[in-house]
Amino acid sequence: MTALTGDAVLSMALLVAAGTLLAAMLNVRAARWMLWAYTVLILGAGAVLLTALLQSNFKLIYVAQYTERALPTAYKMAAFWAGQQGSLLLWAILLAVMSAVAAVQWRGRSAREQTAALAVLAVTNGFFAALMLFVRDADPFTAYAVGKTPADGFGLNPLLQNPSMIAHPLLLFVGYAGFTVPFAMLAGALAGGERSDAWLVTARKWLLFSWLFLSVGILLGAQWAYVELGWGGYWAWDPVENASLLPWLTATAVLHSIGLQLQRGMFRRWNAALIGTSFILCILATYITRSGAIQSVHAFGDSLVGPVFLGFLLLSIITVVGLLAWRWQLLEPKHTLERLVGKEGAFLAVNVLLVLITIVTMYGTMHPVLAGLFKENPGSYGPEFYNHVVVPLGLLLVALMSVGPLLIIGSEAGKTLLQGMIIPGVLSVIAIGVTVVMGVHNVYALLCVALTVFTFVNVLRGLLKAAIDRMKLHDEGLALALLRALDGDHRRYGGQTVHLGMILIVVGVTGSSLFSDKQELSMKAGDSVQVAGFTVRYDGMEQLRHANFTAFDAAVTLTDAAGNSSVLHPQVRYYDKSEQPNSEVALLTNLKRDIYITLAGWEDNGKLAAIQIIVNPLLLWIWIGSVVLTLGGTLCLLPRLCPQRQADHVKVTLPVGLGSCQTPAMEQTS
Amino acid sequence: MNRMRTKLAIAAIVLISAVGYLALAGASKGWVYYLDVDSYLADASYQTQRVRLAGRVDEQDLNLAPAKLTASFQLLGPTRKIGITYHGVIPDTFKAGADVVVEGRLDDQGVFQADTLMTKCASKYQAEEHAKRLEQKP
Repeated sequence: MTALTGDAVLSMALLVAAGTLLAAMLNVRAARWMLWAYTVLILGAGAVLLTALLQSNFKLIYVAQYTERALPTAYKMAAFWAGQQGSLLLWAILLAVMSAVAAVQWRGRSAREQTAALAVLAVTNGFFAALMLFVRDADPFTAYAVGKTPADGFGLNPLLQNPSMIAHPLLLFVGYAGFTVPFAMLAGALAGGERSDAWLVTARKWLLFSWLFLSVGILLGAQWAYVELGWGGYWAWDPVENASLLPWLTATAVLHSIGLQLQRGMFRRWNAALIGTSFILCILATYITRSGAIQSVHAFGDSLVGPVFLGFLLLSIITVVGLLAWRWQLLEPKHTLERLVGKEGAFLAVNVLLVLITIVTMYGTMHPVLAGLFKENPGSYGPEFYNHVVVPLGLLLVALMSVGPLLIIGSEAGKTLLQGMIIPGVLSVIAIGVTVVMGVHNVYALLCVALTVFTFVNVLRGLLKAAIDRMKLHDEGLALALLRALDGDHRRYGGQTVHLGMILIVVGVTGSSLFSDKQELSMKAGDSVQVAGFTVRYDGMEQLRHANFTAFDAAVTLTDAAGNSSVLHPQVRYYDKSEQPNSEVALLTNLKRDIYITLAGWEDNGKLAAIQIIVNPLLLWIWIGSVVLTLGGTLCLLPRLCPQRQADHVKVTLPVGLGSCQTPAMEQTS
Repeated sequence: MNRMRTKLAIAAIVLISAVGYLALAGASKGWVYYLDVDSYLADASYQTQRVRLAGRVDEQDLNLAPAKLTASFQLLGPTRKIGITYHGVIPDTFKAGADVVVEGRLDDQGVFQADTLMTKCASKYQAEEHAKRLEQKP
C-alpha cells in the first residue's frame, strides 16, 4: 500500500514536472504554479517515506534495509538519506523547495528569461523524479513480494550511527542542489538576452547560501571521518571527498569575482563559466558518489543509476557550453583588467589558483576511470600526489588571503599594499622568531605562523580603523562603532571572518599533519607508557549492553605532567544487526592537541589489548575554524540589522532575495 | 592594453609551468600501481616496488592476532594467491572472504609485507550480504 502510494505520488510529480517544462514555453505563470504543485507532490513522497521509516514499515525494502525496530528515532529519520534511493529523494526534495522559492523571486523578470530558467528547473527536477520511478535501484518505494516482509529490519550501518552523519549528507545536498538555482538564473539571463547584471544580486545570495551549506557539509563529513573511521585523520583525498570539493572550489572562485562584475562589469565570462561549471560539478559529485565508477570508501556500489546520471551529466555540459557559445558576445566585459597589482589582479589570481586546484583534483580523481578505458591496471593517485600539488597552490591562496583587507582598486593600489604590509610584516617576522626559539624549525610550520599572524593583524586592523573612523565621524563609543562598522558592510567583514576561519583550519591542518604521532601498542592490564608528555595506563576491559549493541569498553587513564588524570573509554561495539564489529574512538581534546585512542583488539577477556594512540597537535583548531567560517558565511547572508543613517544612499528596488542588504555595489548595477 | 596582455601571458606561462612541474613531481611520488594478484605475480618489475593489491581473503591460513596488531593471510587473485603479512590496526570489516586492498612490497622471503589494509566499502558489502540473507529467507 505504502509502496503504491509512494510510486503514485512520484508518478504524478513526474507528470507535473513534464507539464512545467511544457508550460514554461507557453505561459510562465502556469509554469510557476505547476512547479509549486510539483514541490508539494515531491514533499508528499518524502512524507510517505519518512512515515514508513518512523513506523518501521518493513514492507518497503528501503525501510528494512536501513533501519530496525530498536534503532533510536533520530537515526530512523537519518536513515532517510543512509542509502542511495533515499538520498536521491532527499536531493529531489531539496531541489524542489529551492526551485519553488526561486520561482517566487523571478516573478518580475521578463517572460523569456523566466521561460529558460523555469525550463532548467523543470528538467533537473523531472530528471530526479524520473530516475526514482524508472530505474529500479533508485526507487525508495520498492516493496517486498507478498509474504516476504521481514519481521525486523537489517539495521543502519553502525558507521552511520553518529550525530555528524545525521547532518552531513543533508547539508551537503542542500549545497549540491542549491547550485542549480544560480545556474537556472544564468540560463534565464543568457537566453533572455539580458544585458544588465542585476540578476546576479539574487544569484549571488543563492551562491553564497549553497556555498555555506556545502562548506559545512564537507567539514562535518571530515569531522565524521575523524571520530568514526578510527584512522586518526579527517581527509584522505578519497574520490567522494574530492568530488564534494570540486564544486566548492569553483563556487569559492565565483564568489570572489562576482563582486567585481557587479561593481565594474568585469569577469563576466569567467563568472558565467564558473556558475555553469559549479552546477556541472555538483551533478558530477552525485554521479561519482552514486555510480561506483571509482573505488571509494563511501561510494554506494554498482547500479544502473550511474549510466543514467552520466547521460544527465553530458546533457548539462552540452547545455552550459551551448549557452555560453550562443551568448559569448552578450557576456563582453564592460571593463577589462587595468593593472595586476591591487584588488582586480588579486581576484584574478584567486580565481586562477582555485581553478587550477579544481583541475588537478579532478585529474587525480578521474584518472583511474579515464585511464581504465585504455589500460588494464591503471593505478591510482595517493594522497601524496594531492599534497604535493595542492598544498603549494593552497599556500599561495592563503598568502593572497592574508593581504586581502589591504587591496583596493585604482592606481594607488600598489602603494597602499606596500604601506599596509609594514606592521603585519614586522609582527609576522617577530612571530617566526618566537616560534623558532620555541624549537619549531619546520619551514611549512613557520610559514603558517607568519601567514596566520599577518592575516589576523590585517583583518583586525581594518575593522578597528573603520570603527575609529566612525567614532570620530558619528561620536560613538568603541563598542557601538565596532558593531556599526561590522553591520555597515556584512559582505566585507563576513568574507574576512570566513578568511579567519580558513586560516584557523590551515593552522589545525598544518599542526596535525606535520607533527602527528602514531603509536600502536600491545598492553597488558596495568601497563603504562609515556606518550607526548602523558602517562598512558591500560586499566582493563568490561562489557556493556546498550539498546541495539554490546560494547567492549577499555579503560585507559591518561595522566599529564602536572598529575591531572582523565579516563578514556575506546570501545569496540557489536551491533545486533551488523555482522562486523565497529570501533568507537575515545578522544581527549584541548587547544594544544588531541589524543585519539582506539581499541584495536584484545585477548584473554582484555588482559592483553592492542591500543592505538594518535597525537594530533592543534587539531581542535580545524573545528574552531569551521565554526568561525560558518559564522562569517552567515554574516554575509544576513540583512543589515541597524537602519541605514546616511541619506546619500540611493534606494533601489531589488528582487526579493534571501535578505535585502543594500550596498553601493548593488546600486551601481541598477 | 597590449602590455597588459603580455603581462598576463607571462604570468599564465609561469603559473602553468609551475603547476605542471608540481603535478609531474607529485605524480611520480603519489603514484602506486593498483593490481590484482595474478598481474602482480606475472610481472617481476612490479615486485621491486610498492604497490596496492586487491583480492579476496582466503578462508584457509588466516591468522589474526589483533592484540598483537598482526594479520597473516593468503590473498586470492582470479587464479593465483600470495601470502600477506600485515602489521597495524586490523579494520573492523576484515574477515575471511572479504574483499580487501593491501599496500606494501615483497620481502626477501617472498611474503608481501603490507602496512595498509583496507576493506572495501561497507554499504556495498552490506547490500550483498543483505541480498544473501534475503535469499535464505523462506
